[in-house]
Amino acid sequence: MIGTRRRVALLGAISLLLTLAVAASASAGPAKNGGTLVIGLTAGEPDVLDPTLARTFSGREVFLTFCEKLYDLNAKAQIVPQLASALPTLSKDKLTVTIPLRKGIRFNDGTPFNAAAVVKTLQRDQTLKGSTRASEISPIDSVSASGTSKVVIHLKAPYSPLTAQFADRAGMIMSPAQLDKLGDKFGTNPVCVGPFNFDNRVAGDSITLVKSSFYYGKKDVHLDKIVFKVENDAAAAAAALKAGDLQALDGIDSTQLPGIRADKALRVIKQTSLGYQGITLNLGNKNGLLKGYSNVGTPIAANENLRKAFEMAIDRKTMNKVVFGGTVLPGCTPLSPSSVWYDPSVKCTPYNPTQAKKLVQASGVSNPTVHLMVPTGTVALRQAQFMQAEEQAVGIKVVIDSTDFVTALSKADAGTYDTFQIGWSGRVDPDGNIFQFVNTLGSQNDSGYTNPRLDLILNNARKAATQKARQTLYRAAQKIILADRPLIYLYHPVTRAGLSAKLTGVRMYPDTLTRVAFAAYK
Amino acid sequence: MGGFLLRKAGAALIVLVVASMLVFLGVRAIPGDPAIALGAENRDPAVLAAIRHKYLLDRPLPVQYAHWIWLALHGDLGVDQRQLPVAHTIVTRIPITLEIALLSLLVSILVGIPAGVIAAVRRGRPEDYVATAGALVGLSVPHFWLGLLFIIWFAVDLHWLPASGYVTIHHPIANLEHMVMPAIVLGTGFAAVLMRQMRSSMLNSLGADYVRTARAKGLSEWSVVGRHAFRNSLITITTLLGLQLGALISGVVITETIFGIAGFGRLTIDAVNQRDYALIQGVVLVTAAGYVLVNLLVDVVYSLLNPRIRVS
Repeated sequence: MIGTRRRVALLGAISLLLTLAVAASASAGPAKNGGTLVIGLTAGEPDVLDPTLARTFSGREVFLTFCEKLYDLNAKAQIVPQLASALPTLSKDKLTVTIPLRKGIRFNDGTPFNAAAVVKTLQRDQTLKGSTRASEISPIDSVSASGTSKVVIHLKAPYSPLTAQFADRAGMIMSPAQLDKLGDKFGTNPVCVGPFNFDNRVAGDSITLVKSSFYYGKKDVHLDKIVFKVENDAAAAAAALKAGDLQALDGIDSTQLPGIRADKALRVIKQTSLGYQGITLNLGNKNGLLKGYSNVGTPIAANENLRKAFEMAIDRKTMNKVVFGGTVLPGCTPLSPSSVWYDPSVKCTPYNPTQAKKLVQASGVSNPTVHLMVPTGTVALRQAQFMQAEEQAVGIKVVIDSTDFVTALSKADAGTYDTFQIGWSGRVDPDGNIFQFVNTLGSQNDSGYTNPRLDLILNNARKAATQKARQTLYRAAQKIILADRPLIYLYHPVTRAGLSAKLTGVRMYPDTLTRVAFAAYK
Repeated sequence: MGGFLLRKAGAALIVLVVASMLVFLGVRAIPGDPAIALGAENRDPAVLAAIRHKYLLDRPLPVQYAHWIWLALHGDLGVDQRQLPVAHTIVTRIPITLEIALLSLLVSILVGIPAGVIAAVRRGRPEDYVATAGALVGLSVPHFWLGLLFIIWFAVDLHWLPASGYVTIHHPIANLEHMVMPAIVLGTGFAAVLMRQMRSSMLNSLGADYVRTARAKGLSEWSVVGRHAFRNSLITITTLLGLQLGALISGVVITETIFGIAGFGRLTIDAVNQRDYALIQGVVLVTAAGYVLVNLLVDVVYSLLNPRIRVS
């Protein structure tokens, strides 16, 4: 009897140990080398794969795998060196920026990476016809190489956002040999420094990259191939992930999230964006973008009380629950909490429908009507309908104008709208989230907003050299914006990516780009 | 016959020229500035101006049209926003869509025609009701819904078939695995149309004097239905097949989107959404040319089936 009990106990202990060992190996598992990763792109198809010309958000995700930059972000949205060997140094007059470079690395065609290559890329960004980077680095006067591992940049005026620009496409360095070979057709067969190399592209469908044999960190690269697949339908994309056709999906619609969470073969990672979603109010855009601004005269443009009431009527927390299933982060500022520049001392206008009603009455406008232009889409419409109900409760009639996205952008630029439900994907530097939208000379100032004091503050913020000084200036700027309301910020998106449970090493930083270059199968 | 073909070809050419003008003007009538669409996140005025200049959008319309037609006649349809040649993209995508369209046509024919014949021959009987009800379902069910349902059942739950993508014909088994669901989804609607048309045509034929005469002569029912009524019913079906092939090619858009297939239909809708003028013009012109060609072929086949058409 005792012998049998001992035997049973021993068997039980062995099975328990075996079970624990199997579970441990399944969850921890060392990264294996090899394999192909197919990842779905949900934010639209990348445009041309040329860093000088590229304009799309999804293109940035693809570039991460094959085109490294002078600088990059880390998980805390801090700028860190990538092809540079250290952060840039600034001269005393703040007009000379020196960037030290990594040594001994090569482009994916074997060409040596050096200061001359960086100079060639930056000069191309400045001068190529149609360069999308030219405005981003417009304060640069000249660029030169100091030896093989240092780049010296002379500025026309101090410009603190420059390092942040080099953490995006303006900092992507292209192979000079490939530039000489292809010229403005570089995007058809791009070559940079990167863990992967461009292999081929099927228009409207996929972009394939293969592991690079030249990459300086190739011991950390495990996959053989990455295929980016364009996914236009959220439900079909989620089904493809569940079926295993995709091993990663860079964005999950809130309606598909429960199904993906319930699937044990999948996992979800999430990240609050640097960007925002909100309402742009047409205050002064009568004649079109950058064609001179004067108040458009609509009730909401002419009346400060009405604008305040409009914002006070919106319950952001309830909107999050009802419209988004609790999947976004309510907010009222242009800077997201995931940004190092986020300032909690900037206070929001509280939800207060009682006060909003009083403000509507005090405005002197009887039965105010506001047209809200909304890009077509189920979620956008749902959000608009929620706001319509909220505004109705305080006495503001909202008419929803559901408009195709490109048409809506055109109308916004032309100034033929009242209010526009639109967002911004967000940038590392606060200048990227603010200047172009509210500065009088801002290239996306669809509001037609002009405030000389704010212009001065934003221009000074570009010149200020220390984070503390810039933080103070952006605090003042946000207070002005929140008071005048050319934009009403509603929330910060939280991007969720779906991954196969067998995949490890996939990261998402506050730019919400899914980083798969160093992923591996367990 | 030669004169008939020349007349038909001449008419087709005129239709194509008019179609090219309508395409050109129609694309420019789409609301929204294409430069803004192509600019994506960047709306710097200098960048937008450069985009307009690159795609000749800042030139007068006749200049734009003449430039486009001149290049098109040389087989050059320009480059899209990815800087990829439009002509090459279209040429690589057409076979994929044709494959889906032809497979779905095959599914429609294999299901719709026999169902229509059986429904007509067994009129008023259970087989007729089942076929008619099936046709109603096939006509009513939207493609995107059916497609998603198939993906959930056969790909996600059962793992029998892939959920998305396309494999070339060089790997026939894998190619068929990827085509089965799209072909059935797309073929369902047209099978229903074919079934109803076949049933109607067969009923007309079965009630005609020549069929009564054939029966009176003592021919077997199989011979009456198969050799006489069925053959005459095919004339209407042939016309329908020609028209529907064009409709299938346009209907394939939703199927290609749901199943993630890089076909011609999906290319068209993406081009419109992105306001990629070069691509829109290219795909619409090729579609118009395809439609004209198919209808020309239908006219020729029709005249072969019924020689009286040629003479008149």
